[in-house]
Parts: sequence; C-alpha cells; structure tokens
Amino acid sequence: MPTALRTKPRLRSVSILAGLSVLCLLSASPATAKETLTLAIGGEPEQGFDPLIGWGQYGHPLFQSTLLTQGEDFSPRAALATDWSLSDDRRTWQLTLRDDVRFADGTPLTAEDVAYTFNAAAEAGGRADLSALKHAEAVNEHRVSLTLHAPRITFIDQLYSLGIVPAANRDNGYDEGYGRKPLGSGPYRLVEWQEGEQLIVERNPYFTGPTPPFERLVFLFTGEDTTLRAAQAGEVDIASVPPALDDAYPETMQRLVMQSIDNRGILFPTVPDRGESASNGAPIGNDVTADPAIRYAINRALDRDTLVEVALNGHGRAAFGPADGLPWSRPNETLDAPDLERAAAILDDAGWQRSNDGLREKDGQPARFRLSYPSGDITRQWLAEASAEMLRPLGIDMQPTRRPWRELRREAMHKDAVLFGWGSRSPQEVYTLFHSRHAGDGYFNSGFYANDTVDNHLDAAQAAASVEQANRHWRNAQWDGDTGYGARGDAAWAWLVNLDHVYAADACLDVGELGIAPHGHGWPITANLLDWRWTCP
Amino acid sequence: MSQPRLSALLSTALAGLLLASALIAAAGLGDTPRQMHFDARLTPPNLDFWFGTDALGRDVAARTLAGLTLSFWVGSLAALFGTLIALGMALTAMLGPRWDALVSLVIDTLLSVPHLLLLLMIAFALGGGTHAVIIAVALSHWPSLARVLRAELLHLRQAPYVQISQALGKSRGFIVRHHWIPQVLPHCLVGALLLFPHAVLHEAALSFLGVGLSAEQPAIGVLLGESMRHVSGGDWWLGVFPGAGLLLMVLCIQRLGETLRRAWAAR
Repeated sequence: MPTALRTKPRLRSVSILAGLSVLCLLSASPATAKETLTLAIGGEPEQGFDPLIGWGQYGHPLFQSTLLTQGEDFSPRAALATDWSLSDDRRTWQLTLRDDVRFADGTPLTAEDVAYTFNAAAEAGGRADLSALKHAEAVNEHRVSLTLHAPRITFIDQLYSLGIVPAANRDNGYDEGYGRKPLGSGPYRLVEWQEGEQLIVERNPYFTGPTPPFERLVFLFTGEDTTLRAAQAGEVDIASVPPALDDAYPETMQRLVMQSIDNRGILFPTVPDRGESASNGAPIGNDVTADPAIRYAINRALDRDTLVEVALNGHGRAAFGPADGLPWSRPNETLDAPDLERAAAILDDAGWQRSNDGLREKDGQPARFRLSYPSGDITRQWLAEASAEMLRPLGIDMQPTRRPWRELRREAMHKDAVLFGWGSRSPQEVYTLFHSRHAGDGYFNSGFYANDTVDNHLDAAQAAASVEQANRHWRNAQWDGDTGYGARGDAAWAWLVNLDHVYAADACLDVGELGIAPHGHGWPITANLLDWRWTCP
Repeated sequence: MSQPRLSALLSTALAGLLLASALIAAAGLGDTPRQMHFDARLTPPNLDFWFGTDALGRDVAARTLAGLTLSFWVGSLAALFGTLIALGMALTAMLGPRWDALVSLVIDTLLSVPHLLLLLMIAFALGGGTHAVIIAVALSHWPSLARVLRAELLHLRQAPYVQISQALGKSRGFIVRHHWIPQVLPHCLVGALLLFPHAVLHEAALSFLGVGLSAEQPAIGVLLGESMRHVSGGDWWLGVFPGAGLLLMVLCIQRLGETLRRAWAAR
C-alpha cells in the first residue's frame, strides 16, 4: 500500500509532463496551411442562395459562377464565357461558353442552363433587373444568345452578377427549394446552413477556375456584440466592424477599410400634395419639399464632413451624388463648405420668411416636414437627427421620424423626406432613381422626380453604342450645364455620406486589392474572395 | 413625534422635493435636450456636462431630466386611466351577480397573462408611440386595483351603517355621497399612486424594447436602449445616469404612495 501511495502521484506527474511535452511539440511543429477561414461579416440572405431572386447581386455568389466578371477598371473579363459580342443594333448578345465547366455534382454546365437561368430570372422579377431581356436561347451546347427588347447598355451588369443555375428539366435541376440547397459551378459548395447561425461551405472539386485558397469557409451570422466577443477571443478571422465599435476591437487585428459608394441621402418628394395616392394607397407629395428653394437650401446648409464624423465615427466621405467617383458620375459635382448664409438667402429670395418662433413660412405654409428613416438602423437615425439639428438655425424644421419599413412604404415613402441608402456598381441605379418612368415604382424614384431633359439623357445613355458614350450621357443627366438631377440642377436629393466599410481581420489574412463596395456592409468584401491568402506559415 | 414617524415624514418630504425639483428643472430646459455639441461627443461626466454627453454630443443630464418628465406624464396618464378603468369595472360588478361574475372572470383572465407580454402585445398592435404606451399600460394594470375596489364596494353594500342609512330612507345619492365616496376615493388615490411606479417602469421597458415612445423622444427607455450600443465601448454614463434617475423617481413616488396609504389606514 505505501508503495502504491508513492507511485500514484509520480505516475500522475509523469503523465502530466508527457501531456505537456506533446502539447509543446505540437505547438512547436510548423503549422499546416490554414484550411478553415471563419468570417463574421453578416449578409445572410433571407431567401437563400437563389440567384433568380437576387442572391449574388452584391459580392461573390460563392456557389454559382457568372458569365463574365468585372475588373477593377469596370472592364469585362472572361469567366464562364470565353468570348462575347453585342450585335450592331445592340439588341443581341452572343456568348461562347467554356466546354469544361461542371456543376458541383460533376454534371456538365451547358448553354441550356444559361438560357434557362436568364429566362427564369426575368420571369421571377427578383433583384436582378432583366426587364430588358426578350428571351435567352441556347444556339448549341456551348453558345447562347440573349435578345433584348431595346438597346440597354446596363444589361452587361447582369452578365457579371447573375449566377448560373441548372435548368429545371435536368435531373438535378432548379426547383423551389434551390435557395436552401444551391447547386452551381462556383468555387464552393454548401456543407451546412443553420439559418440565423452559420453557413459552412467547402471547395467544389469540379470548379474550373484557380483552386480557392481555403478548403472550408465558415460564415457566422452573429449580432454585433457576439461578433465582437468572438473577435476578442480570437475565434474569427475577419469581422465587419460597426463604426461605433471600432475602438473596442482588438489592436492586434488589422483594420481593412473598403471604400464604398454605399451612400445615405435624403430623398425629397418633388411634387406638391394634390391629394393623390400611389397604387398601394401611399399618399403622394409634400408642399414644402416640392419647392426647389427648400432643397437647394438644405443641400447647401448641411455639413457633410461633420455628419461623417458624428454618424460614421469618421469612417466615410461626404456624398454629393448616388455614385461618387464612378465613371458615370460627374467628378467635380461637389458643393463648397456648408454655407448657411447662402442657404438663408436662397430661402429669403424664394419667399420663405422667418416667423416669430424662428421657423420659416411661405403663404401660411410652415417650413416643416418629416424625415422618415427605417427603425433599427442607428446610422440613419444619427444622420437624421444630426441633419435636422443642422437645419434648425436655418428656420427649417425637419422632424426625424422612425418608422418600420412596412409603415414607411405604406405611409411615408412618397410624402415624407426619407433617409435612404443606395450604391451600385451599375449605372442602372441612376436610371431607376431619376427616370420619370420609375416614379413611384417601389423604392425607385419614390419622390416622383420628373424632368424631360434628364429622361432624355438617361434614355440616350441606355441606347449608347459604347460604355464611354453612355457615361457621358449619365454625367449629363446629373448636370448638363443647364439642368440635371444633381445638387446644381433640381437637387432631387440631398446626398449625405458614403460609408467606409471597416473590417477587422487577422494580421495573417491578405485580402488583396479591395474594390469599391456597393450598398451593404458585409458580403461585398467577398467579391475578390479567390484572391485572398493566408500569409503566415 | 416618534422616531419611525419622523423618518417617514422626512423621507416623504425629501421624495416630494426631489420629484418637484426634477419637474421644475426639466420645465426650464427648453431645447437643451435636443442640442448637439458635435465637438464634445461621448465625453465622460465633467463640469460642463454633469452626466456626460451621448454619441451626438447631447447633454445626458438634460436628456435624463426630459426623459423623467416624459415618463412622469406618461406614467400619470396611464395610472389615471388604469384607475378609472378599475373603478368602472368595480362599479359594473355591483350591477348584479352576473355582472360580478363577468368582471371577476375578466380580472382573473388578465391576471393570468404575464404583465410584460400583455403590454407588448397591446403596444405592438397599436403600432407603438406615446398613445400606445399609455393605452397598453392602462389596459394591463387595472385588474389588481379593480379587485380591491370591488371587495371594498361589496363590503360597503353589506355594511351595517349603510343598511341603517337605507332603512332610514336616505336617497341613493345621499348614500353614494356620504358613505361610498369617502370610503372608495382614498383607495382610488392610493391605488393610482402605487400603480404609477409600475406604469413608469413598464413605459421604460416598452421604449427600451422599441415598441414604446419613438426614438426621437428622450424617454428613459429610449436612452437606456441607446446606451446598450455603447456598453461594449465602456461609455457607462449613458446608461447609469438615466437608469439611476428612473430608479430614484420610482422610489420617490412609491414613498409618497406608501405614506399616503398609511396615513389613510391610520384614519
């Protein structure tokens, strides 16, 4: 017994020592290449990973591949299609596909699948705007032709973003449940999706492009605080950082700042209240914001740099248009420093006089209107409240009003000023925001802005023979020296800020050259996912 | 004066004084709770801003006072309406045994549903906002008081002095004026005062959860909701001061109600 008593502790210490040495050995041995990358960047699609209803319009479609990809200079590059051409009448696209492309189950991808995808997406009417498409047709197994109703220069953007799905008439074809079990020819295939929690994907062995750098990706769909805790515990490799929490993220993580055209701005109803309402019953028009003088004055009075500091914690730039810095936006369409005196003079000249309480009035109509913003969005709330504060000295009472999206659509969208956010890598957005054809068309041009000259410029851009020519027309729509939708023209909006998308990433992660992000903080950073590298051993 | 009575009197006076000074101070605030100091955002408490500033550079002290005033009025209205409903229901129960059974059933049903759940459902169904909070709090807080009032009225109906009064041929109006009101009114007042802290707390809870007062109003619940975003950043003053203010106000009102109840009980 005494010997047993003596040997037991010794045995225990020996085994502890052995365990420790194994641990030391393990940690000392060179680490294998990083196989699993954990991302907490949000962006979980409610309706699943179905390109036909909008998946992949922002960021990388992950499971599917697209016909073309877009270079950083906005030029088209080969992807599924190796060769492409647009007919002289600019109504027919002809594309030749690679002949070695396979879906993740090993079956070949053919022109039939491409034609099916385009026709079905046009019919589905999702986020992909295929209204210009007449029909898509497989010419042979590897050739497809896309015919348009009318020339539409922005149609090419769908070739960059619409992921190809297997045709419905195949064994493994598209069906209603596709969004939850996506099958495509993209770099990754789905392993598991626990909705509201996480998405796990792994390399698609049949992917024909360069081998993706990571065997497995884990996307965590956690709230802001949980993501922060996970980052502090070293459990995520890259996380999207809300401006307010920037300081709380660990110093050891590198900050990646992705410039964006993810903008926020104030949309004004540009028509007076005539008692009309839209098809969903939402009332149209606002007597105060219908006066261009009010819109000019607001545009000149707002201190956008301060808004960036206050609402974005400095992570952004002042915005003056829907696509600042992009080729289809005028480069110098900015306003000088905020000028309250000039703004006041504009209002005085237009007949908006100060009453005793400091508020301006014109013909008995006080300069008071609501600025609605969607509930649950703290950045928009801060922008709305700070903007309202900036206009108060001017004698304009802009009342920030939080509304749920449903209420905003039903009651406010056409009669209140609304704090909206847009930002797309396609000029199609400019068309839908400012063409009178889209007046009252859902969120597009919800202020009922209409200017025939601007319409003509926008139509000319869509029918242009080249992207360069189209860009000239897009820019003229903003300001052609005489009129335009921009701040110098009709000032249909007061654009406020472009957000910087901030991410905290492990110091070993090299994400390459990040482009300019569209609307939506999160998924857009995956656009160049295949260029990412792990630099540590 | 005995020691406990003296301390009760002092604490009640202090509570009243605190409450009054908060309301008076808030009345003189004007635009201050809304004013933004863009160059002094998220500053900790200092001599200029006693309670610090929030993310938009607004004075937390001014916003807390404004929030307490807002809570006070919302709570007052909700407590008033709640008491009126309770009184109405108690009187309805007096109409006959069937009515009594019906009222009791409603009271029991409402008491069996968790308070906050009922509040949330009503406020949500009404679309949020000040009116929704007042209606939700009033509709969900009357049953306990109604039960007390009903018992009191039942007791009164059987009370010998009321029956004697009836036998002496006094009119119904006389009995109500001279016997019912003097008995029931104190219960109503005390009930309303004791209902008030609940109303205030639940108003804050609803606003905190986003179905109460709108985000543009500096309600205490809204301030607390906003502060949650900054807890991770260590900006403690955004939550601590409004929270402490709310607690203090509720304690003050509870003190007043309690003193009033005891004073009447002693009579």
